[in-house]
Amino acid sequence: MTRVANPRRPSPGAPRPYHFPAFERHALSNGLTVWLVPLPGRGLVNVHLLADAGASAEPEERAGVAALTAQVLVTGTKRLDAAAFAAATERLGIEVSSESSWDSARAAFQALPEHVDEGLSLLAEMVREPRLDADEFERLKAERLADILQARADAGRLAEEMFLRHLYAPDSPYGRLSAGTPESVGELAVEHVRDFHATHWGPSTAHLIVAGGFDPQTVLRSAEAHLGSWSGGGPGHRSIEARPAGGRRVVIVDRPGSVQSELRVGQIGIERDHPDYFPAIVMAAVLGGVFGSRLNLRLREELGYTYGAHASFDPRRSAGPMISRAAVQTEVTAPAIRELLAQLDRLRSEAPSPEELAEVRNFMIGVFPLRFEATGGVAAAIEPLAVYGLPDDYWQTYRSRIEVVGPEDVRRVAEALIRPDQLLILLSGDASAVRDAVEAEGFGPLEVVAAPS
Amino acid sequence: MPEIAFERHRLENGLRIVIAPDRAAPIAAVNLWYDVGSKHEQPGKTGFAHLFEHMMFQGSANVEKGEHFALVQAAGGTLNASTWLDRTNYFETMPSHELELALWLESDRMASLLPAMTQEKLDNQRDVVKNERRWSVDNQPYGTWDEKIQELLFPEGHGYHHSTIGSMEDLSAASLEDVSAFFATYYCPNNAVLTIAGDVEPDEALALATKHFGPIPANPDLPPPPDLSLDARLGAEVRETVADQVPLPRIYLAHRAPVYGSPAFRAIEVAADLLAAGRASRLYESLVRRGQLAQDVVAFPFPIVGGASIFALWATARPGTGHERLETALLAEIERLAVDGPSDAELERVRNLYAAGNASGLERISERADRLSMYTCLFDEPERINAEVSDYMAVTADQVREALSDMARPDNRLVLTYLPAEAPAGEPQADGEADR
Repeated sequence: MTRVANPRRPSPGAPRPYHFPAFERHALSNGLTVWLVPLPGRGLVNVHLLADAGASAEPEERAGVAALTAQVLVTGTKRLDAAAFAAATERLGIEVSSESSWDSARAAFQALPEHVDEGLSLLAEMVREPRLDADEFERLKAERLADILQARADAGRLAEEMFLRHLYAPDSPYGRLSAGTPESVGELAVEHVRDFHATHWGPSTAHLIVAGGFDPQTVLRSAEAHLGSWSGGGPGHRSIEARPAGGRRVVIVDRPGSVQSELRVGQIGIERDHPDYFPAIVMAAVLGGVFGSRLNLRLREELGYTYGAHASFDPRRSAGPMISRAAVQTEVTAPAIRELLAQLDRLRSEAPSPEELAEVRNFMIGVFPLRFEATGGVAAAIEPLAVYGLPDDYWQTYRSRIEVVGPEDVRRVAEALIRPDQLLILLSGDASAVRDAVEAEGFGPLEVVAAPS
Repeated sequence: MPEIAFERHRLENGLRIVIAPDRAAPIAAVNLWYDVGSKHEQPGKTGFAHLFEHMMFQGSANVEKGEHFALVQAAGGTLNASTWLDRTNYFETMPSHELELALWLESDRMASLLPAMTQEKLDNQRDVVKNERRWSVDNQPYGTWDEKIQELLFPEGHGYHHSTIGSMEDLSAASLEDVSAFFATYYCPNNAVLTIAGDVEPDEALALATKHFGPIPANPDLPPPPDLSLDARLGAEVRETVADQVPLPRIYLAHRAPVYGSPAFRAIEVAADLLAAGRASRLYESLVRRGQLAQDVVAFPFPIVGGASIFALWATARPGTGHERLETALLAEIERLAVDGPSDAELERVRNLYAAGNASGLERISERADRLSMYTCLFDEPERINAEVSDYMAVTADQVREALSDMARPDNRLVLTYLPAEAPAGEPQADGEADR
């Protein structure tokens, strides 16, 4: 990627300084933490209520209960049934979302400033006095089961699910999607959702984040009025052990007739508080995080094997996966894997040139103000502070922590985190068309499995 | 929502320029619309406008292959491009002190793409685009839906009869001569709109745009727009069933609809929201929640201007729901809205959802820039950006009823049904159990 500067190229002006918006944090008497990020002049407000009620808070035998609880929450309150609750919120131009991930659950909405108090009142009613009606539960459970069917028909989503299943040990929760499996969701009953809500949606482990155009005193009074007397909630999340299922392997998930193979190559990555978090995310960006990344340049811009190749970590409280991804045409499946593996090896063995690294770092640093252009981006940026307890100056110091990552840091974390003996090489594709060529490459012991249905 | 302030200019070479300053954040957006899309493609050359868009990232006289992306990203910017039926757009969002870099890059390829073109680059991007098609259409459940709707809703020879992604066969046939001819015809300042938005001083922005784009010559032989006129209605109901690798049946309903920019289109947009936007919408409430016939329901008109636009609606059947039953229920709900019209409360609901959604979209200067380019390119009226909410709010119950009953008639209806196919011939290969 080194190139001679073109004399015609304009040189940049002086950058205007940019700082992540200042925020305030308050604790209500019931333990609820309130984060306020006033953005004067904005015509919108984002409200996110986070609960320690993600999949890491559910017992493994109820896998999927956190996700289903979040979904059932929006089907009304003791006072308003599902239709009445939808009408009451949407009349204000508000669409309430409620969903969960591994590490938290989030009920949220975006509104014009004049509707924030009423919206917050309805959101509070929803989390404090939800209806959790049996009929709505059964409907959403059936929808969730059908969603899983739909996801498994999609080559990319099938590969994602199967990658996790083959990467983590069978008793490691991270081997499944956070929303559960058909088997586990099928066993859930409305009582489980009611129990989960009663024990995990409570103020002492919850965070209210409000960002946008509002007066902080007014919103704080709203929060106190609507959520100040909220009580309940119990134990938080469990600790999850992220253990691998085995060593280096090749798994082909058979999808007869596929014209592409969805490749997923990787291993268990890092937890969110890993000491090498910053060098690791820079390393992933060099590999597959920008257009000029090594994977994309080689697999797309030189070989034309794919529409795009990417790599990323998925850091959670425990170690989520690090995955390289590309959808390649069926005929080139074996050489595409070979090329992808060669890029992983190269990253481990030689440090990137200062110029290559500078391009990636400059992107991550320079794009900083763009990430927080919209109020939703600002509210989302507070979430890792709330969920993972990152320091208040996290975003103030973010750019300088990227800036100091050097070429040898990238090589060192690549060597430490990309482990050839641990790589899982998985694809969903037409086994009859790709198996022989992939096997002949000797990437590792190979197994062909049927797609689950 | 405060008005979006902007000013308009036109260079001697015909380039239309819109400048919309907003100094809130140190970010500037550059957005170019070229008035060329897949509707301009000739028979045998489907997919070419989009393939050409890829070639615009393969370098120009002073920019190496890949360098456009690399320079913008290294400057902390984001960028992309897209091709659709009516147009092709190219856009960068930059830290504002790097504005000129984006303008220079865009001007360099508008001025001097061809010297950088090679057969090798074309072959490479042809392979990339074929993989884009495999990924988004051929290997995707229900992936052929929009291609089929266009094919069935518009007659052969009409610019909307084929999809933007095009056919594999036509992509294979594209040549360097096609690249040269397409560039010479359409990629000229008098066929483009440039919008600069965000943290800029308007005079400086205009001076920079003039410096970089001013010297590019106009194309004096710009072809007239293609004739896309056609009957407002299909003439008869069209039905097609597709067997696909999908677990659940899905029904697509489509109609020829009023063109984007017309008051009737606005009314159809409101109708789509009444039907399917939010949990209190008619179709969600009656088919997804109460009736439990559908897994999901989506409806929207395509904002396109060539003779007719497209109203598309789909619903995925819940397991155990027969697709005939789902179709009957869908049609009954649409009929009910077309006959009775919406209540005041329903109108209030979609209006407020629209106002909030509009404010959310326009928070980003890149989105503002894109809409200003669009309104200028399609209607020569960038001021429409400030009328979006008031136009939507002004739609009455009667207008919804009239527009919907006029459009959703059986003789203007396409019903496209995807059904789960039998497993393909041959046993799936498997060494082991999938469920460990």
